[in-house]
Amino acid sequence: MSGAGRHLRLHPATIPYRAFSKIVGVVSTLIFVGPAIAGVAAEFALLVVPLGLVAIVAIVGYEVAYFRRFSITLADDALEVSSGVFARQEREIPYRRIQNVDVSRNVVQRLLDIAQVKVETAGGGETEAVLRYVSLADATLLQEELRTRKREATTDTAAGEVPAAETEVLFELDDAGLVRLSLLSIDARLFGGLAAVASIGGPVAAAVLEGVSGVALVAIVVVGAAVLGVALWGLGAAATFLQYYGFRLTRVDDDLRYERGLLQRYDGTIPLEKIQAFAVEEHVLMRRFGFAALAVQTAGYAPGQGPAGGSEAAVPLATRRQVIDLAARIDPDVPFSDGMRDAFDRPPVRARRRYTVRYGLVALALVGVGAAVSAFLQPWPWYVMVALVALAPVAGRASHRNRGWRLGDAFVVTENGFWKRTTHAVPYDRVQTVIDRRTLFQRRWGLATVYADTASSMSLAGQDPAAVDVPLEDVDGLRSSLAARVFEAVRAASRGRI
Amino acid sequence: MERLHPRIRVVWAVGALLTGLVLGAVLAAVLALPFDRPASTAVAAGGGLGLVVFALGGGFAVLRYRAWRFELQPDALFLERGVLTEVRTVMPFVRVQHVDTQRNPVERILGLSRVVVYTAGSRGADVTIPGLTAERATALREELRTRASEREGGDGV
Repeated sequence: MSGAGRHLRLHPATIPYRAFSKIVGVVSTLIFVGPAIAGVAAEFALLVVPLGLVAIVAIVGYEVAYFRRFSITLADDALEVSSGVFARQEREIPYRRIQNVDVSRNVVQRLLDIAQVKVETAGGGETEAVLRYVSLADATLLQEELRTRKREATTDTAAGEVPAAETEVLFELDDAGLVRLSLLSIDARLFGGLAAVASIGGPVAAAVLEGVSGVALVAIVVVGAAVLGVALWGLGAAATFLQYYGFRLTRVDDDLRYERGLLQRYDGTIPLEKIQAFAVEEHVLMRRFGFAALAVQTAGYAPGQGPAGGSEAAVPLATRRQVIDLAARIDPDVPFSDGMRDAFDRPPVRARRRYTVRYGLVALALVGVGAAVSAFLQPWPWYVMVALVALAPVAGRASHRNRGWRLGDAFVVTENGFWKRTTHAVPYDRVQTVIDRRTLFQRRWGLATVYADTASSMSLAGQDPAAVDVPLEDVDGLRSSLAARVFEAVRAASRGRI
Repeated sequence: MERLHPRIRVVWAVGALLTGLVLGAVLAAVLALPFDRPASTAVAAGGGLGLVVFALGGGFAVLRYRAWRFELQPDALFLERGVLTEVRTVMPFVRVQHVDTQRNPVERILGLSRVVVYTAGSRGADVTIPGLTAERATALREELRTRASEREGGDGV
């Protein structure tokens, strides 16, 4: 460790902030445990208060020591962080390896004018350095300094000659847009919430509604579910509002910078070169009104670790036209366009039949469950559910119309999903492996699925870029063509490097 | 296209045997204790289940062996495998991060190894080629490493 270079310290407010939650924990434990101890041996009850005081002094002392022994140095080649009271840790992060510098502040931290800074390097699921907590001014300074020094280190610019960042505000979410986004936000967790409440409240409701039957019962259940749905949707809307308040997307040199949040403020960077794929996301309601969202997928976050788990919203909500234009401003080669859906290859007609059969079976299963509930638990007009079977062809067509793929010039584009339609664009030089998968049922229908695997860490429930239900007679060709374009892109990239 | 060593079927069959033994023992225990059936019935039922599982697993092992193929193509490693779900994977050499050989105790006794190839992908993060003799596994690993380092296109991350 050189020791030379610019030094920074944590903000003194770190001490009370960090100590506070620990003290609260200790005190509440003592409050719970105290009476129990007093019940067993009255003498020990006298010890509780001095114990508490000793604990508080120890915690405050520890935090003071932590604060004093935490040092941040901007050395010549690397960021050096020394931390720890008993177990010392010295970390050196070379500037050229730094990928993201994320600043986040929650409400209390904003009041205290402090912030948490996370410095990440490429390829790892672990944040490399977390500074809890520096002053907001220091956080901003660090962001700028690390950007400058990384530029110096990676482009051989002389120290002090790095030009000021070229910034370009790409997108700002205005108040109307924020309200629209909140109202349109349908979270999958909403259905989970509904199911959870239904399973808990079901027996309770059954007991309360003991005498009621027939139409009145169905009416009460439906109205109850609707009220619950609206309440959960309201909660979701509020959460979205808090999350995307003040959203702004800026291009700073070769990075995308996004800021968002009301209670918890996030300020993060995505290097353009780390973008693995683009995704235009449109769920049902958004499509109805002509809106869409743009997400970029990156590597470097383990699933669930980044603020959004590897897929960050570049544009949380805008008109479809705006989203497409913005994607082009970030990368001119992205083949999103208004008419792109007309140029997609789509699954054959027999795939639609396959979906219809699948949804029909699901509907029949639900009817069976309804009948069983009626027979064994609580009689109700379960035969109403037979109407669900009639919806199967509709669902089948909806699934079929929202699937497609195309091998573009520089990107492979795939589209999937009815409730949330996601159109992925993956550059060929970001495709890792090409996977051709044919389940037993697909083979029966003469279909197969081709996946373009990338390094972008999607959550388990996330959709992959895939050409789903390609006709069997075309799948070998599609797989080979996609692979060939990947090889070509790799060769072109290596030529560019020489 | 290259095939796996036939002895891999034995490895898979041994796995099926072990699974059958465990499931049969569990069934026998469940019948004997909570449900209080006589010991002979419990053992017979457990044994029957174990045999069925072993037979199915053994048959599956043969089918799996027949389905497995791989090939070193000019730019990529190509794999074909799967009985119920057929999977064909094209893994460009340039994307190969590293290559391991591995073997579990059963494989070691039978003189077989596995080659595991890692990329930076998520769905296809690693791919395993089982059923190779130790020499073939080492040779394949070296071949893959050579081809991966020959190509300077970058790992696409």
